[in-house]
Amino acid sequence: MGEEESPQITRRTTRASSSNPNLNSAAETVLHNCNSQPLTHNDLVYGDEPISFDDLICSFPGRRIQILELLQLLGPLNSPVIPLFIYGGACRGKTSTVLQIFRHLNRPFVYSSCLTCYSPRILFESILNQLLLHRKHEGNGYSSAKRCERPSEFVNLLREALGNIINSLKGNMGKSNSKKLVGQAKGQIIYLIFDNLELVRDWEKSSNILPFLFMLYDIMKMPEVGLIFISNTSPDTYYFNTGYTEPVPLYFPEYTEDDLRQILMRNQCNPKLYSSFLDVLLRPFSRITRRVDELSTAFPALFKKYCEPLSDLGIFPNEKMKRMLFSHLQPHIAPSLNEIFRVEAGHNKDKAKGKGNARKAEGVSEASDEVEFHMSTSAKYLLISAFLASRNPATLDASLFDSTGGSDNRKRKRK
Amino acid sequence: MGQKSLAEQAQILLRSRLCNPTFIFTLFSDSPDSNHSKLKFIISSSVTEACNNSVLLLGPRGCGKIAVLELVLDDLLKEYHDLITVIKLNGLLHSDDNCALKEIARQLCVEHQLMFSKMASFDDNSQFMVAMLRECGLAHKTVIFVLDEFDLFAQGKQRLLYSLLDAMQSVTSQAVVVGVSCRLDADQLLEKRVRSRFSHRKLLFLPPSREDLQRLLEHILLLPTDSSLPHDYVADFNAKLLNILAGEKFKEIIETLSNSDLTFNHMLRFLFSAVCYMDLESGFMSLDNFKAALSTIQRQPKLECLKDCSILELYILVCMKRLEVKEPDTYNFNSVMKEYKSIHDSFQTSDYYARNVCLRAFEHLLQCELISVVDNRGLSQSIEFRPVRLLISCHELNQGLKSHRSCPVILQKLVDREG
Repeated sequence: MGEEESPQITRRTTRASSSNPNLNSAAETVLHNCNSQPLTHNDLVYGDEPISFDDLICSFPGRRIQILELLQLLGPLNSPVIPLFIYGGACRGKTSTVLQIFRHLNRPFVYSSCLTCYSPRILFESILNQLLLHRKHEGNGYSSAKRCERPSEFVNLLREALGNIINSLKGNMGKSNSKKLVGQAKGQIIYLIFDNLELVRDWEKSSNILPFLFMLYDIMKMPEVGLIFISNTSPDTYYFNTGYTEPVPLYFPEYTEDDLRQILMRNQCNPKLYSSFLDVLLRPFSRITRRVDELSTAFPALFKKYCEPLSDLGIFPNEKMKRMLFSHLQPHIAPSLNEIFRVEAGHNKDKAKGKGNARKAEGVSEASDEVEFHMSTSAKYLLISAFLASRNPATLDASLFDSTGGSDNRKRKRK
Repeated sequence: MGQKSLAEQAQILLRSRLCNPTFIFTLFSDSPDSNHSKLKFIISSSVTEACNNSVLLLGPRGCGKIAVLELVLDDLLKEYHDLITVIKLNGLLHSDDNCALKEIARQLCVEHQLMFSKMASFDDNSQFMVAMLRECGLAHKTVIFVLDEFDLFAQGKQRLLYSLLDAMQSVTSQAVVVGVSCRLDADQLLEKRVRSRFSHRKLLFLPPSREDLQRLLEHILLLPTDSSLPHDYVADFNAKLLNILAGEKFKEIIETLSNSDLTFNHMLRFLFSAVCYMDLESGFMSLDNFKAALSTIQRQPKLECLKDCSILELYILVCMKRLEVKEPDTYNFNSVMKEYKSIHDSFQTSDYYARNVCLRAFEHLLQCELISVVDNRGLSQSIEFRPVRLLISCHELNQGLKSHRSCPVILQKLVDREG
């Protein structure tokens, strides 16, 4: 096989760096010293202290069934697995559950998300970088280990990289009896996790890439690799003309109200008070949405209002107090239901430039209502023009701003 | 603990069997009129008689075409070790001609320990391939080209197919082209000039019959008596398993499974799930494992999604259903909001929320694909004006509302009135 250099990214020199040639090299040597420890195959695990099974169940309320099923599907150490497809709506804990399970099992895995790797090339190179234990730093110009654009190159490079990793994992087995196992990856099977798979459908080459990903397991024919797909949409939304081998599905249902209560109660300084607050508020709000991220942004402001009549936030409310707090909060519940998705940005609700003039007349006390970050005038113009450009069709823009009026005037000239 | 590690070993053994297609298809390779023997005869005769040949393996996905081919190639490599070179191409990866020739050149180099340069151009690679074919022909070595996903090679101009089949026409070359496809009309896709050079041999791979299925189940699930596991554990395991396999309920499960999909892949997925659910404490498989595996195969994703909708989202779905009955053409979010308001006005429901809240719920429904936008104009219009439609049928909506945990009665009445 021919040797290929890793792709070099050409960089423009700024005036500062070209006038001070010593600056770059000093920075490089500093960085190089910090990151000089090379990665090993033992770095392919989660990294932190592995957690026990009970901790795993406790940290994910309402997900006991899914965790048990996933552990059964992954199986004991060194058991081969056919591809798994984990799906469920957004914000149901799919990614975090999978990662914590791998922390518990301490098995090596390679994680890549199709959200950050937004094109096939970046996806392939990210996976290969992790498998080839390559770190991007200033020294190599933040470039990947291998350049890989096409699925055919990816399969060849992946086979090579996996072969190396699996050999080193097998070497681990020989040494595992003597050394302690905390830092070591367990097992000889490496798992590839593809997150946010539904975004691949919107890529340009999705008609090629998506069947390729689903058929990857059959193409590779390596029992030492396990594939796990995580998606927000169910498997029937991935449809191809020519079919594909279906992976084993695992569904993460929405949290029930009790689970939501358990999740929202975590890290609260006064659980009893918050529990009585949730008694009042959880049911009406969960008629609108049951997603954890939306509820958890809506509740803090209301909780503050709920606690307004209390002088001491650490007390344990009895029935009478609960009723009093409820009646205090009640007039605010209905309007807040309609504001549930609004995220407060500090005190300021209105950032329009026009209001600023009125404010100045009202005096210095309104200074706290100003925008929290400062935008230059040109930035404000850019923002407005970007908004307008995204609303207007391209032809209108061309006819207004293009020198030829947008159309090819030559053809219009009558003879 | 001893029992658990035995169970784990047994489970690992069964799982490796299920992930290994060659193990599964060795069962069917002994009968003389099976596809395995026919294929072996075709390829080995062209190797021994030094002639060119081409054959297509057709059949639905998951019926063992590639697995049987691999078995045949393994056997032939053992018999005629030096006389065969195998080149494997896949339509998903190599449908582009440049890619395909590069891959052919790379595999030829690997096979014959030559240096491969990635910078070689298309012409270099094609000249190399032609030269190698000639040399192999003169040395009486057969080159076997395996073209997986053959129908994807037949898209576009079919240059690769033509050059391969054309190179086979010369006297000096000895090549066999094996095409594998899940489209039963793959040979109809070929151009005239390609088809004329193609010998119209086709082998059809079919899903297994009931008896074959029974043999397959026993072949896979019964533990071998000569493994490292203790003898009495194996005997117990096999006895319990045979008991389950002979039972009526198990036959019903297999019947349900075969009604939807008879292919090997489907069966193997079912068996894999069943083996995963094996109880490691007792160490034996039970009928419950198979039932649980059946329920994972028989999923209803839209119903699951509906059960997880919030009440506001159910309101929006019901409004859309009513709109579809009234004006079947197109409607968008604004019309849905009007319908929502009219429901609130006529029935005085307690669930009347502001427009921005409904818009967010609408977006949730778009994300989980219960509704979708109709046009493909991209992001030119905001979401409130784009025409939308439901992706679930009336029956599914009904079922979803009935099985929802806390569906308001008013919604059920509204849907029943229409339907």
